[in-house]
Amino acid sequence: MTATDHVQAPAPAPGAPSRRREKGQAARPAMYIAKKVLALVVTLFVASLAVFFSRFLVPGDPARFLLRGRSPKPEALEEITRQFGLDKPAWEQYLNWLGGILQGDWGRSLTYRQDVSDVLLGRLPTTLQLVALAAVFITVLGLFAGIVASLNKGFGDRFILITLTAAGAVPPFVAAIALVALFSVGLGWFPSFGSGDGGWDRIWHLTLPALALGITYIAMVARVTRSSMNEQLLREHVEVATSRGLTRGSVVARHVLRNAMGPILTVSGVLVAGLLVSSAIIERTFGLSGIGQLLVQSIDRLDFGVVQAIVMVVVAAFVLVNTVVDLVQPLIDPRIAAGTESR
Amino acid sequence: MTLAIQLPQAGLRRYGSLLSPMAWGALAVAAVVVLLSLFAPVLAPYDPDYVDLNNVLAGPGGQHLLGTDALGRDLLSRLMHGGRTSLLGPTIVVIGSTVLGLLLGLVAGWSEGWLGKVLGRLFDLLFAFPALLMAMLAIALFGKGLFAPILAMTIAYVPYVARLAQSLVVAERSRPYVQAYRVLGFRTPWVVLGRVLPNLIPTVGAQSTLNFGYVLADLAALSFIGLGVQPPTSDWGAMIEESRGALLGGYILPAFWPALVVVLVVVAVNVIGEELSDRIGGKLS
Amino acid sequence: MSQLLQIENFTLGFPGRPPLLDSVSLHVNDGEAVALVGESGSGKSLTTRAALGLFPGGSESSGLVSVQGLDTLTASKQRLMELRRRHASMIFQDPRAGINPVRTVGDFLTETLLRFDGLSRSEATERAVKQLEQVGLRRAKELMDQHPHQLSGGMLQRVMIAAALLNSPDLLLCDEPTTALDVTTQAGIVNILREEQQARGMGMLFITHDLNLAASLCERVYVLRRGEVVEHGPTRTVFLTPEQDYTRQLVEATPVIESGAASASPAAPGPDSAVAPLLKVSGLSKTYQLPRGEIITALDAADFSLPEGGSLGIVGESGSGKSTLARLVVALETATSGELTLRDVPRPRRPLNASERKTLAKDVQIVFQDPYLSLDPRIPVGNAVADVFRLHQKQGRKEAKDSARNLLGRVGIGAERIDALPRALSGGQRQRVALAKALAARPRLLVLDEATSALDVSVQAQVLELVEELRDQLGLTILFVTHDLAVVSRLCSEVLVMHQGRIVEQGPTARILEDPGDDYTRNLIASRPRPLWDAEPVTA
Repeated sequence: MTATDHVQAPAPAPGAPSRRREKGQAARPAMYIAKKVLALVVTLFVASLAVFFSRFLVPGDPARFLLRGRSPKPEALEEITRQFGLDKPAWEQYLNWLGGILQGDWGRSLTYRQDVSDVLLGRLPTTLQLVALAAVFITVLGLFAGIVASLNKGFGDRFILITLTAAGAVPPFVAAIALVALFSVGLGWFPSFGSGDGGWDRIWHLTLPALALGITYIAMVARVTRSSMNEQLLREHVEVATSRGLTRGSVVARHVLRNAMGPILTVSGVLVAGLLVSSAIIERTFGLSGIGQLLVQSIDRLDFGVVQAIVMVVVAAFVLVNTVVDLVQPLIDPRIAAGTESR
Repeated sequence: MTLAIQLPQAGLRRYGSLLSPMAWGALAVAAVVVLLSLFAPVLAPYDPDYVDLNNVLAGPGGQHLLGTDALGRDLLSRLMHGGRTSLLGPTIVVIGSTVLGLLLGLVAGWSEGWLGKVLGRLFDLLFAFPALLMAMLAIALFGKGLFAPILAMTIAYVPYVARLAQSLVVAERSRPYVQAYRVLGFRTPWVVLGRVLPNLIPTVGAQSTLNFGYVLADLAALSFIGLGVQPPTSDWGAMIEESRGALLGGYILPAFWPALVVVLVVVAVNVIGEELSDRIGGKLS
Repeated sequence: MSQLLQIENFTLGFPGRPPLLDSVSLHVNDGEAVALVGESGSGKSLTTRAALGLFPGGSESSGLVSVQGLDTLTASKQRLMELRRRHASMIFQDPRAGINPVRTVGDFLTETLLRFDGLSRSEATERAVKQLEQVGLRRAKELMDQHPHQLSGGMLQRVMIAAALLNSPDLLLCDEPTTALDVTTQAGIVNILREEQQARGMGMLFITHDLNLAASLCERVYVLRRGEVVEHGPTRTVFLTPEQDYTRQLVEATPVIESGAASASPAAPGPDSAVAPLLKVSGLSKTYQLPRGEIITALDAADFSLPEGGSLGIVGESGSGKSTLARLVVALETATSGELTLRDVPRPRRPLNASERKTLAKDVQIVFQDPYLSLDPRIPVGNAVADVFRLHQKQGRKEAKDSARNLLGRVGIGAERIDALPRALSGGQRQRVALAKALAARPRLLVLDEATSALDVSVQAQVLELVEELRDQLGLTILFVTHDLAVVSRLCSEVLVMHQGRIVEQGPTARILEDPGDDYTRNLIASRPRPLWDAEPVTA
């Protein structure tokens, strides 16, 4: 919104909403969805450009770069040149890469000597389970702490706020060490290594990692919830609702929580991407073989194709979650689709 | 996009001009850590790399104030020297991202046409690459060490500053006082740099302060998984990694101290940043 | 005598600070309309909210606030909710803030019916629709499914009134219910309130800052100043023969249409004088394209001219295009088509470059509406004015500071405030500084864009006086943009009425006020509230 285009649309006369207005409404949701989906595709496209061409930032022979740490025998160089099409122009290399990705061919891993997609698919479930469990902790604990803090002024709020400040400052890897020291080494309640056999055993094994992964984000969600609710609590419509004799519970449930959801949902994109990246550290600490662990190993073993693929997966997850959030927002606040309220 | 601090809101006015006791405490902690790290070569009781296999995993007190690690190295000295590396990275990243972010944010906020839109999209795109991911991609490209992640994180944190600056500039630009400057005939660069920019600095400063904590944690995490600083250089994250073996054997202290320092510094920085943003929220309303 | 609302010696404040309300006593009888009048910060809203048991968090209060015998200071939560559900309702100032934007109008109306009256959803909907129709909303069934942002402010305030009336309250509390609305919309709302109050025999406490509005609606009035009731009695007595100085000031400061007495400076030449006009506008239009492709015409082919030394009032309601016109004159906007000539210099139809802007600044300046946003929060007021002297009069740092001190003194800001930041000043003082800043460029034409609308009436009167004084001393030409006919009648010899982007009428102020030629102008003049005691025969 620019200053010069800031106009107040002329208000229609009382009792007579104009026709033009109604016609616009039918077309608007479809336009809104189309726009968001288009933005998704464009963002993914540009992100893929960035990820692919990042390799070109490294000076020197690309074949030697890709073969770092391995014997640069002529036949190896030749193979890598053929496999990546390094003798072709850059744009052709990109198109081949992109085409491959779209068809499920993500290239071959130099370390594992198998298709990147197979390596990834084998690792993905562990990471998804870990992230999902962390997301459950975050949603439940974060929302709960935030709501309790905002509804209890004074001591309760201060106590929770201080706890959140402390929790938010514990990096996942420190949390991991602390949890292991306390619950594995100290109390022996939870295992400190491995991902278990599935079912409850899997959850038992993933509890500590998920908590370690989630702790900063629990604090983040709780803070956003608290401030978003506090902002709504000051709004006049809340006072109006109270003045009509609604109970405190009804006022909070109907007029505060619902209105406060927008900012909370908005952080979920950042949250999912952050969880996926931080899982690299957590998986390594707890010896879980997910894509996070794979990312660190591939960097370690100079397997650039795999690194590229994982970066792309995380970025896509972020963009996708953000798009879903954008599509859900109008259901919560109808002004967003109408374009009168921009967040 | 989420920013750690909210834009100034009316009605949250804070009274009093002194810092809260908590903020004073945070400042004190930060100052002590910075001074001890800065003057480590003078103040540290031991050579941080001196291995004393006769004195491994010693408890605190006695000759070694905080004890020794699995190789008998003095933990306090290692903490002080490690602090130099641990604090240097975030400092560079925060200064770089603040300067770049302010610049881009000002341009994006002030230009009404396509430039503002394009820059806005660029910030959105950068948000899709979390800082830690960007750092790992950079390490994959340029090799392990501090250079690649610092460069990558500087870029990754630009949108956090730039988005905030942009939204502040857009808000300021439509305010009557800025329009009055235009009608009065003041030149745009004078208005933007001389009048609007100073009004942004407190808020952006608060955001950058918070960023410092995140960067510190992320860089320490990279060292912890062995992708950051390489031996013999050490930092707090690397110290925790070195101590994992001892930890599983029941020796908590070698990992506890660096973890404690990391958490303390991040808490201190967050408290200061929040105090700043609260204060600004009150003042500008 | 049954007292519906009785407030005795009600004192409210925060511990350790002077009280916000000090021994307030007032009462409202069954079926009676009572006004509570005061300027901002007088404690009107706090008093009214206390009647529903709504107190600011952390406050301490004493005295008695009783509604039908229930003391809201001591009543249990349950009894208070009962009171709010069955016996007393409140209408708030800003309906757009007061109705939850994410829920439908129907949800807002029926939520109390479903919960407290045990109605089924269809019964509740039926009641709500009936109520909406009663407050003058057509197609009420469709409105039920719409969201607040799809309705105009006037419609929303009717929804709010409907909601307040749903539980057939005995006491209706109104907190500035028309302040956020245009004059013509206000007239409709006031009519409904009057009708409903009389038909239902409700007691009504009507809060307003507008004495005219109070006089048009209420038999008795209380005048509140800084938390104390300074005067009360029958409206007519209080307003016609006020006993207290404050009330007298308030009555005198309240703008009324001074037909025939438009205080134009005597030297001002008539519109048909041979002198070339300072500002000439012909066929000036401004259109905006909304992101969805819709085109909005904010200003449609405006034609007028303003002679040097003249004073022209531009009157219109929100969305009339009057502010667009003001912004075009000072080149904050670029016209889509048409000509604008200032001092014989035609305005190019593109954004001005830096040097053009600087030249223009010496011809025309503007003062904006909002005193809280129109000064740079970080710059001491003396420096803000001195900066302009340095830019336009090429003065040195020290000289500029002296000039600023002089000019600020002239607009009534003493030397002791010269280093104050804007936030240390009151709204009226800030507008004076804004005026000084504009005058420091020594313009010929001064545009005032609703420059006094956000001020309390007594402050507004002082600022208007200052503008008149400066106009006569400096020979300024004035373009005064406002929604308030009375302010125009006082300040401007010529007036121009705008409606939906078009100029519907222009001419000498006295002529237009006495004998409007256009229906809209007539409606605008008729919409102004009239005191009950000289009400014309109602034609509507």
